[in-house]
Amino acid sequence: MTDAGIYQLSLSTAVLLLLAFYGGTFLMSLAIGRKNENVDGYMTSNSAIGFGFSAASMIATWIWAASFYASATAGYKFGISGPIHYGLWGALMILFIYPFGKRFRQLAPNAHTLAEVIHARHGRSSQMIMAVSNLVGSAISLMVNFTAAGTLVAVLTPLDFIHGVLIAGLGVLSYTLWSGFRASVMTDFAQLVAMILSAVIIIPVIYFQIGGAPALLEQQWRLSDEQFSFFSKTAFLEQGAPFLVAVLAYAIGNQTIAQRLFAVREDLIKPTFITATIGYGAVVIGLGMIGMLALFVGLQPADGNLNNILPQMASTFLPPVLIGFFFILVIGSLSSTADSDLAALSAITMTDLYAKNIARGRPDPRKMLWLGRVTMIVATMVGVIFASLKLDILVMLVFVGALWGAIVFPVIASFYWNRITNRAFTVAVLAALIAFTIARFELLPMTGAVAVFFEVAAAVGGGVVLGLMAFGFLGRTAGLLVGAVAMLVLIPVNLGTLRDYTVLISSLTAYGVSAGVCVALTLRSNERFDFALLAERVTNFHDPASERDDELPAVIGGNAPAASRA
Amino acid sequence: MNELMLSAYILVWPAIAALILVMLVVSVIRDYRAAKETGEDMV
Repeated sequence: MTDAGIYQLSLSTAVLLLLAFYGGTFLMSLAIGRKNENVDGYMTSNSAIGFGFSAASMIATWIWAASFYASATAGYKFGISGPIHYGLWGALMILFIYPFGKRFRQLAPNAHTLAEVIHARHGRSSQMIMAVSNLVGSAISLMVNFTAAGTLVAVLTPLDFIHGVLIAGLGVLSYTLWSGFRASVMTDFAQLVAMILSAVIIIPVIYFQIGGAPALLEQQWRLSDEQFSFFSKTAFLEQGAPFLVAVLAYAIGNQTIAQRLFAVREDLIKPTFITATIGYGAVVIGLGMIGMLALFVGLQPADGNLNNILPQMASTFLPPVLIGFFFILVIGSLSSTADSDLAALSAITMTDLYAKNIARGRPDPRKMLWLGRVTMIVATMVGVIFASLKLDILVMLVFVGALWGAIVFPVIASFYWNRITNRAFTVAVLAALIAFTIARFELLPMTGAVAVFFEVAAAVGGGVVLGLMAFGFLGRTAGLLVGAVAMLVLIPVNLGTLRDYTVLISSLTAYGVSAGVCVALTLRSNERFDFALLAERVTNFHDPASERDDELPAVIGGNAPAASRA
Repeated sequence: MNELMLSAYILVWPAIAALILVMLVVSVIRDYRAAKETGEDMV
């Protein structure tokens, strides 16, 4: 037991569990490793992955360590509805991307990254905006996951924080380095099986150890009326609403999701995304219930740190064997996301930085492959160093979130509206970032005409979010209608009120300004883009004619086929 | 909220997760068999 009353696994148990986990995943990656990996396979596998692997990989990637801690925290703070307001919106992030994902895949079936398709649609500046947002997002995610590993190891084992960071970094790199995305997908399945099994056992055990529903209802007095309500306004406003705003931004700005979209067999996109939505929601909301149970039993988080809720609950109500399960649950979640981040970072470097910019559309697939591996090594080193420095990444996170919000409308609209230009895309994103910065950091006093401007822009942003969601599922007319009605309703609601909610007004402003500027500039354009060009411009890098057998070099001559030159 | 509803609300999530797990495992086994027959890689 630690001073905080948290049970610690013995050193030998912890080392054995980590060895079994990372050793097992490494052996799995060896089973699919090829002496000469195919450069396209390294980024998107065979683009025909089956339902089981795809859905499992999607769930495992989307669940990271923070999913559990944040969901449990929501349950502890907001009570009964808390886990729903974390897990449901997180799950819907996956669902809302799928109609757009189907469109991206249909237009560019051989794509590796979303930025690559943007390059084919618009050109360099738009592509780099997308690529940079993806790069920074994955780099931050990698660092956060390594940090979570360090924290978990420090809390649940006698090892130090830095040991956890190093073990996770080296462990994830070891099985992802050679086969890239293929290894990530393959190991995601095993990691998800371990995660779900752990969750399925741990949640009911804690529930029955507490004494079940009768014991909980006896302690209902610890909860406020709002905490005991399924329809808590506070939970929605403080947890659900900001997440709802971020729904599309996170999904569009995340290369790990795009990569899986381009890897799954095309006719399986819909069932994969729907299953991933339900699977993610069930696991994350389920673990959030442990936070809610902690509230019922009156648990006080050690050192006032809400991240201690889960380890404390595990220590109090689980036998040592199941604490080991909990340990694997968190290690599995952070590793599956970290390996996806490595695969995403390497794909962006290979495709968007090297192939499209440095090699100017004439890439050498063999060089690409090695560049991808070097990227993984460098990214792991940087992730480990930054994680061990425990840097405050809040400002960086704020800007990435804003960038993701700013690109949502231009990205989605670019694949439906043939008039949008590179200039409209780029200027819209930059204008939205400027407006966001002014609102988020209150560079101008939020009073008078300035406040009204931002409140109206935020109303437009709210309309854009809801309109895009309706558009994805119900089509253009419904999208325009929902968007327009939402804007009209939100303007009077926002005026005089939203200026006090800095985070919400700035996020919605990013959506609103980017959509407004993009539409205004597009309406002035006479350009008409032929979407059929995307499939011609976005092609495989690997030359199939050069593939004689697995023991021979997969690429002869080192040049991409003419058809692959965008 | 009565006892039954509270129990169901808490335990339904691991139950759904278990169902999803079974579905995924069955699907992967089917894909594995199909891949073995055709000689193609699963990933």
